[in-house]
Amino acid sequence: MDLQKIIPYKKMSLKELLVPENKLMALIAVVLTTLFLIGVAIYLVHGHHAYAVTREHPWGLLIAMYIFFVVSSTGLCIVGSFGDVFGFKDYMVVSKRAIFGSIITILSGFAVIAFEIGHPVTMMIYNVLSPGLTSAIWWMGTLYGLYLTFMIIEFIFLMRNDMARAKIFGLIGLLVGLAAHSNLGGVFGFLNARVVSNGVFYPTYFILTAFITGIYLIFIMYGYKYRGQPFPDDVAKALTNFMKIQGLLLAILMFFETWKMLTGVYGGMPERADTIIHILHTKSFWLGEVLCGMVIPFLLILKSKGTAIKQMVWASVIGMVGIFYMRYDLVHDTQLFPMQTLKIREYQLPPSFVDYFPSTAEMMIGFGAIGICMILYFIGTKLFDLDHMPEHH
Amino acid sequence: MARYGMALDYKNCINCKACEVACKEENGVLLGADKHRIWVGVKEIEGEYPLLNIASNTFYPSQCQHCDNAPCEEVCPTHATHYDENGVVRVDPNKCILCSYCMNACPYDARYVDDRTMTVDKCNFCSDTRLARGETTTACQATCPTKVRIFGDLDDPNSEISQVLREREHFSLKPHLGTKPKLFYLM
Amino acid sequence: MAVEVSRRRFLQGSVAMTVIGGMSMAPSDLFSNEEEHGSQAMTTKTGTGEAKIVPTLCEMCVNKCAALARVENGVVTKLDPNPMFPKSRNMLCPRGNAGIQALYDPDRLKYPMIRVGEKGEGKFKRVSWEEAYDAILNGTDKFPGLAKILDEEKDNRSTIFFCAGEGMAEHTFKTFFNGFGSANWLNHASLCLRTVVSGYGVTLGAYPQADLENAEYIIMAGANRAEAIVTPDTMDFFKRTKGRGAKLICVDPRFTNTAAKADKWLPIKPGTDLAFVLALTYVAIMEELYDKAYVEKYFDGFTQYKNHLYSEGYTPEWAEKITGIPAKDIYEIARDFMKHAPKAVYYPGRRSTFAKNDFQLRRAMAIFQALGGGIDTKGGLVFGKKLPLKPHATVAPMYAQAEGIDVERAKGHPGYSDCAIVSGGGSWIGFRNRVLEGKGLYPIRGMFLYKHNPMMNMPNTKKTAEFLKKLDLIVTIDTMPSDTVMYADVVLPECTYLERTDPVKTFGGPEPSIAVRNKVIDPMYETKPVIEILRGLTEKISKPLFEITKKYDEDVQDDIADRGEEEVYKDFDLTIPFKHSQEELNEHAVSDYPGAAEALKEHGVYYPNMDKWFKKVSVNEHVYYPDDKKAYTVRGGKPKTPSGKVMCNLKNIAKKGVDPMPTWRKEYEYSVPEGKFRMLTGRHAQFTQSGTSNNAMLHDLINENYIWINKRVAKKMGIKFGDMIEVSSEAGSTRLKAYPTEKIAPDQVFFIHGFGEESEELTWAYRSGGNDNAVIKDDIEPVYGAAVMHSTNVEIRKV
Repeated sequence: MDLQKIIPYKKMSLKELLVPENKLMALIAVVLTTLFLIGVAIYLVHGHHAYAVTREHPWGLLIAMYIFFVVSSTGLCIVGSFGDVFGFKDYMVVSKRAIFGSIITILSGFAVIAFEIGHPVTMMIYNVLSPGLTSAIWWMGTLYGLYLTFMIIEFIFLMRNDMARAKIFGLIGLLVGLAAHSNLGGVFGFLNARVVSNGVFYPTYFILTAFITGIYLIFIMYGYKYRGQPFPDDVAKALTNFMKIQGLLLAILMFFETWKMLTGVYGGMPERADTIIHILHTKSFWLGEVLCGMVIPFLLILKSKGTAIKQMVWASVIGMVGIFYMRYDLVHDTQLFPMQTLKIREYQLPPSFVDYFPSTAEMMIGFGAIGICMILYFIGTKLFDLDHMPEHH
Repeated sequence: MARYGMALDYKNCINCKACEVACKEENGVLLGADKHRIWVGVKEIEGEYPLLNIASNTFYPSQCQHCDNAPCEEVCPTHATHYDENGVVRVDPNKCILCSYCMNACPYDARYVDDRTMTVDKCNFCSDTRLARGETTTACQATCPTKVRIFGDLDDPNSEISQVLREREHFSLKPHLGTKPKLFYLM
Repeated sequence: MAVEVSRRRFLQGSVAMTVIGGMSMAPSDLFSNEEEHGSQAMTTKTGTGEAKIVPTLCEMCVNKCAALARVENGVVTKLDPNPMFPKSRNMLCPRGNAGIQALYDPDRLKYPMIRVGEKGEGKFKRVSWEEAYDAILNGTDKFPGLAKILDEEKDNRSTIFFCAGEGMAEHTFKTFFNGFGSANWLNHASLCLRTVVSGYGVTLGAYPQADLENAEYIIMAGANRAEAIVTPDTMDFFKRTKGRGAKLICVDPRFTNTAAKADKWLPIKPGTDLAFVLALTYVAIMEELYDKAYVEKYFDGFTQYKNHLYSEGYTPEWAEKITGIPAKDIYEIARDFMKHAPKAVYYPGRRSTFAKNDFQLRRAMAIFQALGGGIDTKGGLVFGKKLPLKPHATVAPMYAQAEGIDVERAKGHPGYSDCAIVSGGGSWIGFRNRVLEGKGLYPIRGMFLYKHNPMMNMPNTKKTAEFLKKLDLIVTIDTMPSDTVMYADVVLPECTYLERTDPVKTFGGPEPSIAVRNKVIDPMYETKPVIEILRGLTEKISKPLFEITKKYDEDVQDDIADRGEEEVYKDFDLTIPFKHSQEELNEHAVSDYPGAAEALKEHGVYYPNMDKWFKKVSVNEHVYYPDDKKAYTVRGGKPKTPSGKVMCNLKNIAKKGVDPMPTWRKEYEYSVPEGKFRMLTGRHAQFTQSGTSNNAMLHDLINENYIWINKRVAKKMGIKFGDMIEVSSEAGSTRLKAYPTEKIAPDQVFFIHGFGEESEELTWAYRSGGNDNAVIKDDIEPVYGAAVMHSTNVEIRKV
């Protein structure tokens, strides 16, 4: 069977494939991946004891990093769809790279979640044998599985420059991805007992922030590719448009966040108001989510009226730090308020907001997965032509 | 086929924790601070010595509520958490993938991870121990010095629990969540 | 099932190791098995297959509740309440449930051992039972044996003393003491309930039970039935508190779990309860609220007592200043109590002596109770009935050389130097301190210690350690390598209560019964029940010790000349009481009751008509006796004193320098110097003193004790929850973590007793928390020489 017939790729020797284009980035990727592997080894020896998760705070950094990756994937899928699915010519140039990015980010996400879920093999068996149709996790997992399949098919057609088929699978992939992603929001939104997460906010917020994440990542990918040189015209055009869209999206996000916090505090409802006030007293919210994730990129966009696309690359890096905090905080904030508020031992303090700080193993696996993502990206950019689109289709 | 529930004469409770130990010994619950299926909770006392608020120090014995509409069951992706034929909320360790969603969804903090099987575990009304042997009490009920618990079949109108619930005022925990607990606190 | 198998395999493995590994084991391995140390696999899920159910009696505390042990494949997997026992009313508390952990405690004493290191160092060598018995008789190069000591002391048997903790086999051990012929016997009473038992004894003729099942008004002062569980009291009234039939007044300086169940909590100044009771009595008499007919019929010295109260002016206003309890509360309580009387109980309690006036307090309480007529009556204090048992053979030889009790008489006074009356159980602290100070009438050289832990259980640990080091020969019979066992010369491992049949016991009360502790599984390792230990020991020492008696005892020499040695030795044969098995002795003891022996084997409980009367009436409740058969009233209300009266004025004790009527003295007043705190100690439902200190399951509930410090005071001192605190007094110091709480007064601190052991052989108990007795001064109560627990002021500092 000729692989080339299935998906066109550049022929090269293994050595050519593995020689890094940028030694520093390659080193970072290898170090991170090594950390990932060490973290996995620790997990395999100690099981869940290697993690800092507890009865009161069962979800930790790994769930946050999984969300980080799958939001990135959905975001890149949306960004990529502009060109190849919806046919906006100005954005066509980024489609292949974005769709490729969406595949490797979700694979990285799966790499993380595989070591968070206690029994991934059992999951695959019983997801099929006894599906929990009322479970948002079931739908999210199943739909993401389908989504990955469709994205790969779409990417294959893109590589073959079969734009008509790519469009069909791209559209299906996008819809499935959006469904999967809003279900991920639903995982939190469905938690009736967790009043800061319960409701419509997270499913919609996830789609919005996915879009924002996709744009940040597009800037980072192109910023890296054209480091030290000007963007080609078509890329510059697409990026300028994205920068303006990003301005609008960030404005909407800030508007959303403001109202979430206001409605959360208003009326002083027990559990909800005190938790929101607690959140408003954290640095990770103000410095991480607000300053890095929204304000810095937004100010740059405003100041340059959406034209400073080179500077926007760095603002996007900062923006992604902010996106990480959004993911981490949403997981943590959901579990902040304890479900057991009574003292169950004489010698304890009355339960208050639940503490959590990730263990070394969690950090190794969670952050190490960024290395996996980078390696996949570097290999992919060598193997595949992610830049040239057919003139007409 | 029954619909098991439990009524708690919670004002009898003296917070001795016999129930917790009986539960651990009966069900082989691992030792460890956050490994428990059953507990007695109390608020931090209000007031300043010597003017303390006695009523603020009420003891609330509790455990899995065995909700008729259990959030943990609803969120389980593999049906590991399920209602058994007696309406008891159970976890099948062979199906549990330890996604911990149920632990997050439970409004009562009634679930924990068993380190031997690395699956989520919880109170099962002694279904696979005492009830399986044909006994009619749970370990916590049988051992209780002040007889807080009445365990029985809610579908049997002649059972003691049904009778007590007809005759005495009672409340449930977090009823606004619509979980329909089968633990009833007798007033 | 996997866990079950692994535990069983482990146990079998360790037995095999015993045989093969034998003498080559290092001393520390004698105590513990690495395999189970720190392991979490201490619990065993019960199975659904075949199981043997054995009725037994709990020994996790003194209550002796009835339990049903479930045995699967030779492993005890569960202890359940036995519903048939009227006393324990179908319940087991947390400790009762955790009895399995006492049985499978990896730190248990497993083999006989003799000391090879310095005294107190805890270095032992494993030996056979025969070698251990031989060491007791003949000593080793490290310590002298009985033969040498008694030869040197010319057969003064009293140079060896005996002490025992409370337990069903205490009597078996005491039988040995009687045969041995020492005059010195110490038990836990002077560290426990001596004054309450005696106070009620001399006033009402007995220490009665409280019928809390029917009482409508209960004053619980200095008793904490929610945490210091006593059966059936605890179960009988907490179902009826909080407006459900029993009004509860809790009087305690500390807000306890009992206070949480009370209608009213009165935080009293420590040690001032006597003033409170005197004022209650004053109101009852002054307002003529008392039961005049009862007083007329059954009171002795009422007028004198009345006049005494009047002339001393024990008014509620007076008491308010001393106790801190508002006068209006005292009026109200006295009136309410008398209104509900005789179905009103001033709860006698059963606890350690807290203050020097405790004997007088108990007398005042008994008199106040009697004023309402609530004596020998339903809902009041009851004497109840007891089903008598048949005694069995024992020996009590007379040793002419054995001197009397080692108590120094005070010169020029009618009493003794440290207390007025020496009771059967002695005064532990008085005895210890006399030996330490060299004030004894003769040397005290050795001790036999059964199920008793003086290093943990009596004030001033430093002195106890010195005392133990001073003794030439210490023989301990115990299940755990406690702090005291570390000072032993010979360690004899007893099996736990689940591995032995103990002497059958009769339980009195309105619903009397007989119950037995049946052996659940065979003793593990090389442990034995105390009766078998003593059988082996007496077989070894009886003859050789008789030789010493022959050498020094002229009476015996004369007797032998008269009757011949063989005949005389029959009176001195220490082996006689231990010849029969416990099962045989028990069958004999109940042989007057047809069917009792069988019922005890099958159900663990027996009382006449049990088969007819015992009924399950709901999912939780049982009936033991029909209401009209319950022995609430057995004497028509008549006190059990020799005079048949309530003794208000005890003229005979006045001769010994004790107040004949309860009297408040200036020195009883409560005060704490600025910057210091009054140290309080007490109980908790999850531990029984130091007896359960190494129980893994109970440590899961409370891993260590914390010191209660008032929240506002802690804040001022910069102390936060969990900070390490050093508590010190003139007696010594200890360290434990801080628990700031409003449940204690600003000038008091509290921590539960039984923590902070120093024996490194105790995995869970070793240095977990602080030891109260390292800090509490060894003050002695003047009447019975009981230890006073609440008279120490301490300093605290963050470390």
